[in-house]
Formats: sequence, structure tokens, C-alpha cells
Amino acid sequence: MSEPGPYERSVWSWQRHLAAGGSTCWRDWVARGDVAAAAPVPAGWSPPGAAQLEVLRRVAVRGELAGAALGVFADLVTRRSGPGRGLAQQPLRWPDADAAETAGAAGRRFGAPPVDPSEVPAEELVRVGTGALTELLLARTAEHSEPRRTPRRRSGRLRRIHRSRRTTPFALAGAPVTTSVVRRALEAAGHAEGARPRLALLLAEPFDLALAQSWSARVQRGAPVRWHGFVARWSGRRRLPPSMDLPALARRWADRVGADNVHLVVAPAGSDAAIRTAVTLLGADTSGRRHGPGPGGARDLSPAAVDVGRRVNAVLGVRVGEERHAAVLGRLVPLLEQSGPGSATTGPALTVPLSARDWAFGRAAQIADELSAGGYPVHGSPAGVLPRLEGLASHPRREDALEVLLMACARLVRREDGVEGTVRR
Amino acid sequence: MPQPAVPRRVLVHVGAPKTGTSFVQDVLWLNRGSLAGQGILYPAERFDEHFLAALDLLELPWGGLERQAVGAWDRLAERVRGWPGTSIVSHEILATATRQQVRRAIDSFGDVEVHVVLSARDLVRQIPAEWQENIKHRRTLGYREFLDRITDPRRSGELASWFWGVQEVPDILDRWGSTLPRERVHLVTVPKPGQPRTLLWERFSSVLGLDAAALEPETNRSNASLGVPETVLVRRINQQVNNGVLRNEDYRLLVRELLAHRTLSLRTGSARLGLPPDVRDWALELSEEWISVLAERGYDVRGSLDELRPDLVPTEFTDPDRPEEQAVTDAAVTAVVTLLDEVARLMETERTLREELESAYQELERSRSLWFRAKRRLVRQAEVSRTAALGLAAYRRVRGRSSRSA
Repeated sequence: MSEPGPYERSVWSWQRHLAAGGSTCWRDWVARGDVAAAAPVPAGWSPPGAAQLEVLRRVAVRGELAGAALGVFADLVTRRSGPGRGLAQQPLRWPDADAAETAGAAGRRFGAPPVDPSEVPAEELVRVGTGALTELLLARTAEHSEPRRTPRRRSGRLRRIHRSRRTTPFALAGAPVTTSVVRRALEAAGHAEGARPRLALLLAEPFDLALAQSWSARVQRGAPVRWHGFVARWSGRRRLPPSMDLPALARRWADRVGADNVHLVVAPAGSDAAIRTAVTLLGADTSGRRHGPGPGGARDLSPAAVDVGRRVNAVLGVRVGEERHAAVLGRLVPLLEQSGPGSATTGPALTVPLSARDWAFGRAAQIADELSAGGYPVHGSPAGVLPRLEGLASHPRREDALEVLLMACARLVRREDGVEGTVRR
Repeated sequence: MPQPAVPRRVLVHVGAPKTGTSFVQDVLWLNRGSLAGQGILYPAERFDEHFLAALDLLELPWGGLERQAVGAWDRLAERVRGWPGTSIVSHEILATATRQQVRRAIDSFGDVEVHVVLSARDLVRQIPAEWQENIKHRRTLGYREFLDRITDPRRSGELASWFWGVQEVPDILDRWGSTLPRERVHLVTVPKPGQPRTLLWERFSSVLGLDAAALEPETNRSNASLGVPETVLVRRINQQVNNGVLRNEDYRLLVRELLAHRTLSLRTGSARLGLPPDVRDWALELSEEWISVLAERGYDVRGSLDELRPDLVPTEFTDPDRPEEQAVTDAAVTAVVTLLDEVARLMETERTLREELESAYQELERSRSLWFRAKRRLVRQAEVSRTAALGLAAYRRVRGRSSRSA
């Protein structure tokens, strides 16, 4: 191997600067020439790509990590390239094009074109961040750890004993995230679904939001599918995801409890409203004593958080078996939930891409018609299942995903490395 | 007298795609027994084991196969470390490895001497072949769009990145070979058309240290190329089946294997895919640069760098974006007949299985008691009759278990 030139020495010294918490951009760093050129390059080191170093700089700018914690993260990011498909690892562009030849930065006649780290596409930063987060999750999830068990829904006699407050025995179905949120809220207040329900509550959302909930639920169970891929897949089929096929759900419950006892709660505009409606319908008492956490199920994640989840799932798919994947998810999902509604990285809710709008409208209108004809008690209008579209994003934003990733990485490094005290806030 | 120490070394064949890699891998796989007799390990329990290992190393999801790849690289490396002689690892997607992944791969072999082997073919033949590979992997983009993307110097987008990742010979050898002595970096050039088919195998054998004569190079598996109308047909099929119609595993079996590899690639007489004049000129210029830099680097070349220089006489270009429709229709008829034949075969299999199942079911029925049959009937009735459901619940209370299963 040839002796490291100014390019290698500058990249190495910039890497050290970033790993120590510095946030000077590459262009300014090179401008400090003498400082950069003085750093000795260790044997066996090869320059990381622009994306890896830019992720490190973004972390330094956020200021959530410092000292040993930042060192751990820097080591992780620079030693591994981004997983999966994407752009080739790009070298850093030497700021002064005229001097690039001398620096040894322009001597590469082949390979990926150099780039200024600040211009690396967000997708590539997300890819590097995904690799780092996956590595941290795997390091923190023991090799033979059991999947975190969500408390099982009590069945039969146990469930009746648990239900200390009397309500009509009920069952919940419909949009998976809303259903989970309502179920958890009711269970926390001591009202669990009964073994022989006499009342069924179908929780309906606008079609696009419900589809996004189905996607979220799938990802939380380990699926690596992209939002657009998920929509394309279902729009090419005659069927709908089971939780979205409200007419079929309603018919099934009507056979068991009678059509009069299948209540359709349409477009509750958020889980709080759904909970209030459910409480009213059930005559449930939610005051006073609280029970422990309710059963598992889909969590309310932001679109960016779901997108991060599916990216991590894709890497886990090739790194670990199903059991360990499930164990890692048990750690990942709560971590992603912390970036959920109310956080700065929420981003707008998702709607279907333009190419699927006709399909979404057609299917939703069909659902509304069938529900109207079914004679079920309706709370809200069946037309509320039509897609909302306005003000919604048709794909998760990559910048939001990067925020979620960096936040999750910082939390994992801080919380689990016992270096909380050294963290700069 | 002490035996001389057997050199422990591993030859890592990293590509490139469409340079006879499938052929080499198949020969190695089919001859792994006799190779072991020569002191050479081809560490594989299944034919695609090195592909899975590469997926693992590159952390690359691949149409649902990835779960089978978990831990595959480490297992492979462990076998290489434990072998007293020469081992061979071969897969063409290894060409895309980043420097960090290359380092992990080389480190994983411990103190075994690492050699890197890259087989290469001239760009004018490689570029159309790569578009065909894209089409055979469900892509739908047109030929001109493909060419525009790969000739754009910014190389933005996954497609261009992947193409150059597996085809840019000087860069691949730099990524894989920059930490190795030049004599351990081997470049095998693919002979020009018209040369004996065995020549490529002889070159591989010489670099892999094999006794070519002791191996049987006949194999049925090859990644044969398609003609222009056949490629157009597969592209049109992709446009119809990509929206949830065919799962990846079904696509792999029905479109890639059955139609493309086993049917359409056998059609002769179709126009072959080449390069339009503007891209051809660009490829000629780039090839000269490659040949020049490779000559400077002093790698161990088996064959000749001149073979990376495309033929100077252009062949007539048939544009797949404006195909001759009759030729595409002919290819489509061939495809339909193949699929009908397959459907008939599967129907026959289904008929046989149904008969066997019915026979097994009747056998089971005869062996079951009257009481069991009565209970099962009650459970089935309970699904549609409230009275039966009440009866079943009463029975279960008396019996003392809450399970609903029958």
C-alpha cells in the first residue's frame, strides 16, 4: 500500500474530530490544512465513505452524545458500511478542485464519484443509520434471549375474573393500531374483551389511514415491506388486509352476536375519540383504579418510525433467525414509539400514492355501501371510511426517518452503556 | 523425512456477472468430491451456498431468500480456516462489496493466504447482458433508459450503482485487492466468441490450481442470454405481474427459470441485443482506459487484456424499445405453450395427490371410533346452530376443559 496522502490524512483527522464531538463541516476542515495534514493515519485504516462521516457529523450537531458514548457510536458507524442496496460508497470530494490531484483525492479514475458530505442524499444517511441501529439492537439483545412476550390476552375464566368492573361482554376489531390503543385503554381500566361477547365494536378509519395502520402493524411484526410496495401489493389484489375488510368483519360478528349488536365506530379522528365512543357504548367506568399494562398489539408509530422499522427488519432478515428477530423487535418498537405522535419527528400521516388513489376510493366506497346496507348501528357516517388524502404525505420523509434513527441510536448508546453521566444535553 | 507444509490458501472469485460464473460454480459444485481428492475444498452443502454467504456478508435482502443466509458467511469462513489446503469461494455479487465488507471477508479467513479472482468480459457484451439480468429480476425499465442511467457520470440511483459495482473492473480489483500483493490478484479474461468453449475453463483451472483434465466440465446450468424479442416479452410480463400478482418465489420459478432460462433462451434465430452506436463509442473509449490502467497495475492476468477491447466492427443494432411485434408474438406463443404444459403437469400432480389424500382420509375414518365422529359432527354443527353450540358448551363444562378444539 502507498503512503497516506493529504486526502487520507485529512479524512482521518476529520473522523477523529467528529468522534470527539466536533461538528466542523468537511470543507472548513480541509481549509485548516496544517491541522488536518498533521494527523498520523493508523495502519490498516481505510477511509470511510462520505455518508458514514456525515452521519457522524449530524450526531455531533445534535449534541446528544459525547465522550465514551460518542466514541462507541463513531466506531460503529465508520467500521461498517450501509446495509442492503443503495449508492456505492462515495469518497469525499476535495473542496479545491485544482488542488485535488496533489491531495490524492482526484487520482481515482474509477469508482463512485466523490461527493461533499453535506450533499449526500438523505437516503444514504438513513441507510448508514439503519446499519448502526441494527448493530446496536443486536448488541443489546442477547444471543439467546426470548422474544419479549406481550402479555397474553386472558381467556375464558381468567378473563372474567380479571374484569372487576361489569360491562357488556364485548369484542374489538378493525383498524389495527386504533383497535390496539382502545383495547389497551379499556384493559388498563379493568375492562377486557369477554370470552363470549354480546357486543362487537368495529373501529373504522379513513381507508388510507387504516391501510397505513395495517402497514405499521405488519412492520411491527417483522415485515420489511416499503409503504409504496405495500400499497401496490394490495391494490393488485381482490382482497383487502383482513383488518380493513370491515363488511366481512361485520358479517362475521353479526353471525355471532346479531347485526344489532355490531357497532360501527367510524372515523373516530384519533384514538382518544375512539376510546370515548367505546367507553360510552360499553357503559364502562374508566375512573379510579388502574390495572397493569394491557395486552400487546400494534403501537401508534409515526410514519417515519414505521419506515425505520421496516428498514431494520430488512437487515435483521439477513442477520438473525426469526426468534431473535422477534426479540429485537420487542426492544425496537418501544424505542420507535418514543418518536411517535407528539414528538418532533411525527411527520404527516400517510395516504396512498397518486397511482393508487382510484383504487382506494373505489374500495372505500364499496365498503361504505356494504356497511350502509348491513343495518348495523353506526356511530359517525359510513362515508367516513373514504380516503382523506388532503394534507397527508404519500411516503414517509427520509429526513424524518433519519431523525428517528439518530434519536434511537443515541438512546440505545446512552441508556445501555452506563455512560449516561457523560452525555451532553 | 517431514512432509512439506501444504499451503493454506483461499481463492475468492468475486465476479463479474455474465462472465461464465454460473458455469464455473456448477463445475465446482458437481466436482466437489473429486476436488477434495486433489486437496481442494469447495465448501458447499447446497449449490447456492456461496450466494447465501455473499448475501450475509453484504447484508443484502434478496426476494425472501435472506433468512436462509443468516450466518452463512461465518460458516463458510470457518470451513475455509479449518481446511489444510486450498479453498475456493465463488459468487459474482461479491464484486459489489465495500471496502469495509472486503476487510471483514479477508479478516474472516484468519491466517489463510487470500487470493482474489475476477473474470471479465468486454463492456460491449456486458452492458446488454446486464440489462437482460435486470429484466430477469422483475425490472421494467426500457433499454434506452437503462443506458442513460449507466452512462450518467453521476451514477445516481441504485441501478447505476449496482451496475458499476459489479462491472467496473479496475474499481472492483482496487476494492478487493488493494491490501493484497499484486501476484495474489488474478484477472481472468473471457475469450472472444469463436474460441473453444473449454478455453475459459482452462484459464479458471490454471488460476484455481485445478487439474482441469481430472474434472468434468459438463454442466446443464448456465445463465444463458435471451434474444431481443424474448427480453421484450419478459419485460412486458413484468409490467403485468409486479403489482402483487406473482410472489418473488413464484416469479423465480415460473418466469426466470421456466420461461427465461429453460424456454426462451433456447430459441434460436432471434436478433441478439447489442449497443446503439453512441453508447458503443463511449464503451470503446472507456475500455481503452481500463486496459491501460490494468496493465499499469501488474495483476496476474490469465488470458489477455486485449480481450477486454470490444470488436471494432459493429454489428447491426436491433432496438428493444421498438421491437418487431411479430417476433415478440412468436416468443409469447412459445411461452404460453410452455405454461400450458406446466399447468397440465401440475393438474396431473394435483389429481394424484387428491386421490392419495382421499385414500388416506378414508383409511383414517375407518380407524376412528363412532364417538369421535359424533363429537366432530357436533363441533361442526355448533358453528352454524345455536342449539348445537349450547350443547357443545354444556358438554365441555361437564368434561371440564375450556379448549375449543375438536
